Amino acid sequence: MSTVTTSRSIKVTINGTTYEREVEARKLLIHFIRDDLDLTGSHIGCDTGNCGACSVIVDGSLVKSCMLLAVQADGATVETVEGLAHGDELNKLQQAFKDHHALQCGYCTPGMLMSATALLRANPHPSEDEIKKGLQGNICRCTGYWNIFEAVKAASE
Amino acid sequence: MLLREVGYARPGSLGEAIELLAADDGARALAGGQTLINVMKARAGSPDALIDLAGIEELKGIELRADGTLEIGAMATYTELVESSEARARPIIGEVCAQIADVQVRNRGTIGGNLCTSDPTNHLPPLMAALGAQMTIAGAGGERTVPASEFFLGVYMTAVGVGEVLTKITVPAGRSDGFAAVTLGVEGTCIASAAASVNGGVTIALGCVDAVPVVLHPGSVDEDAVREAVRDANLDPPSDVHAPSSYRKHLAEVLAVRAVNQARS
Amino acid sequence: MSTTTAPETTEVEAPAQDWKGQSVPRKEDRRLVQGQGVFVDDVKRHGMGYIHFVRSPYAHAHITSIDVSQAEEMPGVYGTLTGEEVAALTDPFFQISSVPGANLKDYALAVGKVRYVGEAVVAVVAETRERARDASELVEIEYEPLAAITDARHAQDDGVPTIHDDAGGNLMWHGTYEWGDLDAAFAEADKIVTIDELHFHRFNSTPLECDGALVEYNRGVGQWTIHTNNQFPGFAAIMMGPAMRTGLDKLRFVTQDIGGGFGNKITSHPQLVACCLLARKLGRAVQWTEWRTDFHMSMSHGNERWFHETEVAVKSDGTLLGFRTKALDDAGAWLRYEPLGGVIWAQVTPGMYKWRNIRVDFTQVATNKAPVSPNRGYSRMQHLWFTERVIDIVAKELDIDPVEMRKRNYIKTEDMPYETPNGCVYDSGDYARMLDIGLELIDYANIDQRRLEATARGKLLGVGIGSTLDSGTNNFGQSRMINSELQFSGNNEVATVKLDIFGEIVVTLGTTPQGQGHETTAAQVVADILKCSVDDVHVRAGHDSYWNSHAGFSGTYASQFAVTGLSAVKGATDLLAAEIKKLAGAVFGGVPEEALELADGGVRIKDNPDAFLPFMACGAIINANNAGLPEDLGVTLNCRYVYRPPFEVPDIERKFGNLTLTYATQIHVAVIEIDPETGAYDIVDYAAVDDCGKRINPQIVEGQVMGATAHALGAATHEHYAYDEDGNLLTPNFYDYHVPHALDMPPLKTAATESPSPFTPLGTKGMGEGGGAGIHAICAAVQDALRGHGDAIVSDSCNPYHRVWEMLQAPAEAGGRVSVVDA
Ligand SMILES: Cc1cc2nc3c(=O)[nH]c(=O)nc-3n(C[C@H](O)[C@H](O)[C@H](O)COP(=O)(O)OP(=O)(O)OC[C@H]3O[C@@H](n4cnc5c(N)ncnc54)[C@H](O)[C@@H]3O)c2cc1C
Ligand code: FES
Ligand code: FES
Repeated sequence: MSTVTTSRSIKVTINGTTYEREVEARKLLIHFIRDDLDLTGSHIGCDTGNCGACSVIVDGSLVKSCMLLAVQADGATVETVEGLAHGDELNKLQQAFKDHHALQCGYCTPGMLMSATALLRANPHPSEDEIKKGLQGNICRCTGYWNIFEAVKAASE
Repeated sequence: MLLREVGYARPGSLGEAIELLAADDGARALAGGQTLINVMKARAGSPDALIDLAGIEELKGIELRADGTLEIGAMATYTELVESSEARARPIIGEVCAQIADVQVRNRGTIGGNLCTSDPTNHLPPLMAALGAQMTIAGAGGERTVPASEFFLGVYMTAVGVGEVLTKITVPAGRSDGFAAVTLGVEGTCIASAAASVNGGVTIALGCVDAVPVVLHPGSVDEDAVREAVRDANLDPPSDVHAPSSYRKHLAEVLAVRAVNQARS
Repeated sequence: MSTTTAPETTEVEAPAQDWKGQSVPRKEDRRLVQGQGVFVDDVKRHGMGYIHFVRSPYAHAHITSIDVSQAEEMPGVYGTLTGEEVAALTDPFFQISSVPGANLKDYALAVGKVRYVGEAVVAVVAETRERARDASELVEIEYEPLAAITDARHAQDDGVPTIHDDAGGNLMWHGTYEWGDLDAAFAEADKIVTIDELHFHRFNSTPLECDGALVEYNRGVGQWTIHTNNQFPGFAAIMMGPAMRTGLDKLRFVTQDIGGGFGNKITSHPQLVACCLLARKLGRAVQWTEWRTDFHMSMSHGNERWFHETEVAVKSDGTLLGFRTKALDDAGAWLRYEPLGGVIWAQVTPGMYKWRNIRVDFTQVATNKAPVSPNRGYSRMQHLWFTERVIDIVAKELDIDPVEMRKRNYIKTEDMPYETPNGCVYDSGDYARMLDIGLELIDYANIDQRRLEATARGKLLGVGIGSTLDSGTNNFGQSRMINSELQFSGNNEVATVKLDIFGEIVVTLGTTPQGQGHETTAAQVVADILKCSVDDVHVRAGHDSYWNSHAGFSGTYASQFAVTGLSAVKGATDLLAAEIKKLAGAVFGGVPEEALELADGGVRIKDNPDAFLPFMACGAIINANNAGLPEDLGVTLNCRYVYRPPFEVPDIERKFGNLTLTYATQIHVAVIEIDPETGAYDIVDYAAVDDCGKRINPQIVEGQVMGATAHALGAATHEHYAYDEDGNLLTPNFYDYHVPHALDMPPLKTAATESPSPFTPLGTKGMGEGGGAGIHAICAAVQDALRGHGDAIVSDSCNPYHRVWEMLQAPAEAGGRVSVVDA
């Protein structure tokens, strides 16, 4: 029989490193990642689950980590923006964002890259409409998205 | 953004979940969390304990019975409903789920959570009402089935009582369905919505015009009959920052016609 | 000695000619795409406390008591701060306004009274974010609610509540602007078009990152280090220093990456003061994260403005002679940057048109809503929307084609530089040509055909033009028109460029970029002068007021970097280049400077390429191997330059003078299709044509154009800070405040022309704000689509679907009221 507890010990593998920590049940996954583990690449842009700046991939599924408790991720494998590059070498998507000026302030970029990563995994050659649909959950306030669409298109070629 | 202190448990079976929910009036089921966690972030609601339904096999899966009836586990996500070949037996379900929010929300949000939230702007309450779905609710006293038309009791209120869990949504066979909405931005929050089904009789369910879906049965699929049915309903929709009442009332008529037209085509 | 730093990889091939003008990929992107940027919320300190602000649930109320004792007793709580303490420890912020606004007593926290929902009343600090929030629920505040005023149009009615007793009423500022001869213009007119009311709504740019700070207090030297994303530290400092009774050098501002600003991050000084007081009081670093809902409720809304009783004097052929109007600005509850909005619009007084006789009666009032502050296109956008609305309304009433109407009245390229009726000088541009390009991009020649096709599909097609000016590089002397006692004028920006001991070129900026790519464009300017690669130029990321490259107007705001920032960079680099030659001349044994040139990362004798001194040698000689150099050499290889644009103090009496240095132009053309049954509409075609003079990096410029377009489209359709009568904000988050998402984006076509500014060292013009061209274009397109379908006049800048539907149903009530009389 499982019991109700206000904190528990969890084990989460992020970008290949396994972390074991005691966390309060109320802690959001994004705060666990940013504050407890100091992986500050994933961001927070809202408090209602609308902006996608906190998007990460949990067990292969793209989620907004501000609507998931850290305890819910116990045992999960998590991918964040810090895991995209190979050493110092940008991956294709990161390079395409750079080449196509798909970022300005860069605050939405980590979440946007994770959404684009999930999109291209599921659909390696998306149409423009599919790209838009794949990025619908990520708000960018700087670019107007057009260059982001271009970058994802380029990375898919 | 910062939740009040809360307890958490992740039961492995439905029975256990019901026990945990019954043990504490302040405990709440946690499904996708795409509404509940946000409510808690705003401290607009603060359950004592969250009973995470994610580990319960009984609540998962989408099955197609021989007679064409669909049985959808309450924990089926929108993404699963979009991708499921079984769910394609009633194509409108996948079509509508594909319009809800965004990839991330669709990957987590569940049909059960959507219905239990009973938010007037949600897509699935009017859809399930129009399709004539049956809701299976389990509690300490056993199981019962409630038709969608009786399931929604008010904003954020449903037939699911304290200590109970919505386990399954049963959708009868049929293909001639439609859905139309005017949303805040493309595929955003519904300002008004209408779902229709013309399998045998004509059923329309209107969203965003009352606390719960308004279910209508026009005499025929003719535009005049549909418009008349909506007018006869004497709707008095709420006004809010996104639309005045008069606009919602007008949209109800337009969208009902569009949903019916899609259903009959 | 071994070195552990990896060499910087060369990512960019040297261009054939200049780096300037090339779309060099941005230097900052490498860290940002890896999640290695440092934003304010990423900065942490050992033992830091987290701040949570307790905010007012009332729009207007007396605070009768505050009890923090229970909160302070909660385990894990470090302490609190109340308005009473703030009032004892600080002086009210300096007010820009003349009376009555000058009399406001504005503090970091509410003192005695709250004036809008979301106003900070108490700050609580605890060891975790969650705990600070928990403890805030134990703070007991008793309020005595007062009636609220939320409609600026009634703020001065009899019997309405007074928000600031110190001001004696809700009027904050009033001024009358009049240029030319209005009587003569109206006498000469064939027709007078009267527009009852136009309304520009309240919204802002909602940068994705909200405000925040981490503040440390160094007790030994009495100095604060403020890690923050405030985008105009120069302004914050002059607000904070006097209030905190401290010298400005005690306030060190540090930023690296900022997640968007758009003007909305200029006025965080009240929160920063609260952070400073708490860091000192508690003897520990304190951290403040502003959440989205906090931002929406309390930070920097754009100016909401009405234009009443507008009268336009026009000839039968559409020639505009002049206008008069009464502008009414809703400042919200406090004047945090206001009432500068009451003069900033005057930078673009005639819009893009030749009318010479203009009268604007400007009033700004307080309401029980969040304070307004600069927002992309600050105050000019409102005014340009007004002039564009006027153009389209007059065109409609006189049955003149809107394209014709514009071309007849646009200031012509041959008239440039053009002095406006109020003494501003439009530097360059060819508006008519830009309009032609825009029209061609959307295939205007075939628009009638497309209208018919749309009609056949049951849709109403409309075309709209938005033509705007993006005035950049303020003459701060204009503030004296608001308050003649102010001692501000001109503008400045600083850069330092130095050659370090190992030949590294290091550039330090005074600006606080929020995505504008300053590291890249600065490197382009430097590389051209020093004849090296952009990869050899290290531009420090972010801002630190202790870097000594910081002046009173330093910051990133108001479309000025390409002029002020880059001119400072150019100035400093020119100085450095001259010093390098001077040094080399001495090293080579008295070779005159004219015989030397910079090339290939060093300096050489022109006709003797073997005599080559690499930068590394230059740096080493000056910094570490300088024995024997001539005594009077005067070379440091560390050059600081302050760029000061050529401005005069404006004539305050006549409200006349040059208020900005450059005028970039944007002309947008939108094609929309309305579903008449629902009022919903799609943007089916869209063109944005930009001219910002010489473009240093066209890709970055285009990015700014795109971003400004998206902001405008969001504002035109959905974005709105709407309040109910009790002063509750109805759109406090991204759920209800709908900003454009990926699926909302229409197809976009962009084009650019280049009319270099004759007034700036590089021919550049400030740009990036865009002037809200998209809002004007959408309003015009909606009005055009409704032609023959009720003929409503679009009188509001925000047109969500229900408003369009209402205009179709009841054009007279839902649309604007306009009359035309023969003069
Ligand atoms: C940005 C954003 C946009 C959205 N847009 C839309 C939209 O356009 N249309 C739309 O329909 N929805 C939308 N939603 C809401 C989303 O669909 C939610 O997922 C849904 O409302 C709740 O489902 P959930 O599984 O996440 O439930 P949860 O949030 O976990 O739970 C919601 C409520 O239901 C209860 N509950 C859940 N499952 C059960 C069960 N099996 N038995 C008993 N009680 C249960 C919970 O106790 C809770 O009270 C949006 C959400 C977000 C964050
Ligand atoms: S921070 Fe998670 S969606 Fe905005
Ligand atoms: S680049 Fe700034 S929010 Fe997207």
